[in-house]
Amino acid sequence: MNAPTPEETEQAAGQAALGARAADAVGAAREPFIVAEGLVKRYPGVLALDHADAMIVPGAIVGLLGKNGAGKSTLIKILAGVVQPDEGTLRIDGEPVRLHGPLDATRRGLAFVHQELTDVPNMTVAENIELGLGYPKLGGAFVDGRALRRKAAESLGLLQAPIDPGAKVSQLSIAERRLVLIARGLATSARLLVLDEPTASLTDEEISHLHAVLRLLRDRGVAIVYVTHRLQEVFDVTDDVAVMRDGRMVFEAPTRQVTRAELITHITGHKEMVTAKRWRPPAGERDELLRVERLTRRGAVDDVSFSVRSGDLLGIAGLVGAGRTELARLIFGADRASFGNVLVEGRPVRLRGPRDAMRAGIVLLPEDRRYQGAVHTFSVRKNITLPILDRLRAAPPLPVPSAAAERRAARTLIERLQIATPSPEAPIGTLSGGNQQKVVLAKWLESGASIFIFDEPTHGIDVGAKEEVYRLMIDLAAAGKAVIFISSEFPELVAICNRVVVMREGRLVGEVEGDAITEAALIEHCYAV
Amino acid sequence: MSVDAPAAQPAARRSALWHDLAVNVVSRLGVVLAFGLMFLAFTLARPHTFPTVENMKSILTTAAPQMIVALGLTVVLVMRDFDLSIGSMVGLADGAAMAMMSYHHVAWGWALALALALGVGAGLVNGFLVAVLGGNSFIMTLAMATILTGIEYAFTSQSTIFSGAAPGYVEIASTKSLGLSNQVWIALGIGAVLWVLLDATESGRFMYAIGGNPEAARLSGIRTRTLRVAGFVVVGLTAAVVGILISSAGGGYTPNPGQYLLLPAYAGAFLGAACFRPGEFNIPGTVVGVVFLGTIQTGLTLLNLQTYLVNLVQGAILVVAVLLSLAARRRG
Repeated sequence: MNAPTPEETEQAAGQAALGARAADAVGAAREPFIVAEGLVKRYPGVLALDHADAMIVPGAIVGLLGKNGAGKSTLIKILAGVVQPDEGTLRIDGEPVRLHGPLDATRRGLAFVHQELTDVPNMTVAENIELGLGYPKLGGAFVDGRALRRKAAESLGLLQAPIDPGAKVSQLSIAERRLVLIARGLATSARLLVLDEPTASLTDEEISHLHAVLRLLRDRGVAIVYVTHRLQEVFDVTDDVAVMRDGRMVFEAPTRQVTRAELITHITGHKEMVTAKRWRPPAGERDELLRVERLTRRGAVDDVSFSVRSGDLLGIAGLVGAGRTELARLIFGADRASFGNVLVEGRPVRLRGPRDAMRAGIVLLPEDRRYQGAVHTFSVRKNITLPILDRLRAAPPLPVPSAAAERRAARTLIERLQIATPSPEAPIGTLSGGNQQKVVLAKWLESGASIFIFDEPTHGIDVGAKEEVYRLMIDLAAAGKAVIFISSEFPELVAICNRVVVMREGRLVGEVEGDAITEAALIEHCYAV
Repeated sequence: MSVDAPAAQPAARRSALWHDLAVNVVSRLGVVLAFGLMFLAFTLARPHTFPTVENMKSILTTAAPQMIVALGLTVVLVMRDFDLSIGSMVGLADGAAMAMMSYHHVAWGWALALALALGVGAGLVNGFLVAVLGGNSFIMTLAMATILTGIEYAFTSQSTIFSGAAPGYVEIASTKSLGLSNQVWIALGIGAVLWVLLDATESGRFMYAIGGNPEAARLSGIRTRTLRVAGFVVVGLTAAVVGILISSAGGGYTPNPGQYLLLPAYAGAFLGAACFRPGEFNIPGTVVGVVFLGTIQTGLTLLNLQTYLVNLVQGAILVVAVLLSLAARRRG
């Protein structure tokens, strides 16, 4: 994470306004804030960090890139004091330090906004922001609510975030909750702010506001590490980029000196990246596999009808909150519809629960892998075989799974999806995010389903894994299945879907097909009044 | 993250291997090791009375009712549900069976069937309240405990029953087979059945999945409600068996006879969760946990300690045993 030297920045000032401002803000004081050298971290069967170096300089936004499992999270956990490196040194302001836990990191001015929302939803915004700082007291014992809200309002003011400090966090949008978490970081007078995938599930407008806030903080001299899988954001907001691969820092440069293609090369480690092409179903009559008629759930999905044919790769576009996930859950029987029908191959299906949907051949890859996809206490094998256990019996009439058959099934799928795991028996929690996602995906592939719903399957996974997920969906469509692909990232819908429908405020508001699918067309439907 | 281990440093890797192995053994077998040490200590302190076959048999017989309740409890705990009504279900089965035989002169087979049916019925109601209506299992089963004790008193008018148990009924608990009390055999039989259920069958796998992530389990097509209800029915059934055994062994009924079982049963199951598969409730663990507790109880009694000391030592041993395996797991 080598920031440009002052000289470089000055030279580039004419071309790059961002870099120039960054340099101005901190003047000549460009002493590195944090220097990490030769960090090594081993986990059972995995070398997470392999002599990684990093340097963090105040007043600059560094984009930290890398595939899932490249070592980004481990590096961040070391900075946060959550894990200790096995080897290597960490210096803060030139002093060698050992961080003893998250509190120690906070005291030294390091603040973290994790990918998962780590707030306390049933507390107020102010209580969340000041959490762990010691609330202002009245008479030594009671929390001074007014002072608390005032202090929180100051932090929020820095972010120019119009959020009521007295509001319950559970009532905020995801974007607002992220801002609250950033405010929590600022409340500790942080000198370093690390954001891990901060824009996941944010709208473009919210993202640009967040970026404006980050630039503001950068100009005040805060060092910012910005972890993301979205290359566009790297070019939008960062001053420098750093790429990790296989536990090492493999590339560092000022952002304006690199191209997208270069970054991808460094991230994936190979020159050419195969890009999935738009799926074109074979010509001729194709059977209708799924028909949804006037499906309605009050407050979420409003009178939605559409149909999907065998070989369709249907995208569902829309903004967060448009009702796409809710629609998927209705079709899968995870929630009850208040009105409407779901027909599979022309026959209405009675959906009392996901089990009924599965029997009818519908499966869902849920949006939230952490809470809905994986059983964290289980191994990779047990997660993969969960929905197909009754087909892996040792002596078929007896409901006793055969360990050998399970291992075979797991191995096959691990190989097919190229899941990086030391063994099928590894706990799923020890895998990287992208590989966990593949496990959650794998469990449906042998289920014999004919209708696959993928809800944000590429959320938070690396470029290489995304390509694999696209390929998988195309393969399913090519095999005559009906595939529904929900995504907030329109470029990926545009790239591979043969049809896309757009949802807005619970309704289906548009449909585009074939070459008419462009990002512009989708955006128009999303925002049109 | 399938990064190859560095080629160098084989010595470091070997020492890490030993470390892993040690951590593994302590975290899995910490409770068993503690059990062994305690056994040794009691043997040294009371070499003539403690390590005898008779004493071992007596420990097992005393522990049998707790074991049966704890085994049933393990099934719901696997799914992260609690059942606090077990003591009351034991009392209901006990009271109903004795009242039927003593007051209404019903044939003992029918009394026994009624007791079992009441256990199953109570389990169904618990399951319905918790898994179907979505009540908090802690509160719901606590409320049910009160209701069930009320029903028990409706059968028995809350008065002690001294006689009326049919000879055949009394034989259930007091007969011995192969030198061990029937109670022990019944406990082991139930343990074997539930062990197979949880560790070898699809339903067992699904129950563990529900405990790990109920929403993921439901979205994988698992009948989460049915299985949770089934768990409560298993608890009801095991509690009824214990109620029958208590009244059969004693040949009578005292009001609210099951209450003393609640804490030891939970303690046994939680101790078991620190054993073999750290952090997960499991049947072999529960068996070890309950026998461990029973041994402490008997051993301390043989030492003629004052009651308050027995309480202190018993509690302390429990805490240390659980912390031991917890610490090992954290370091791993």
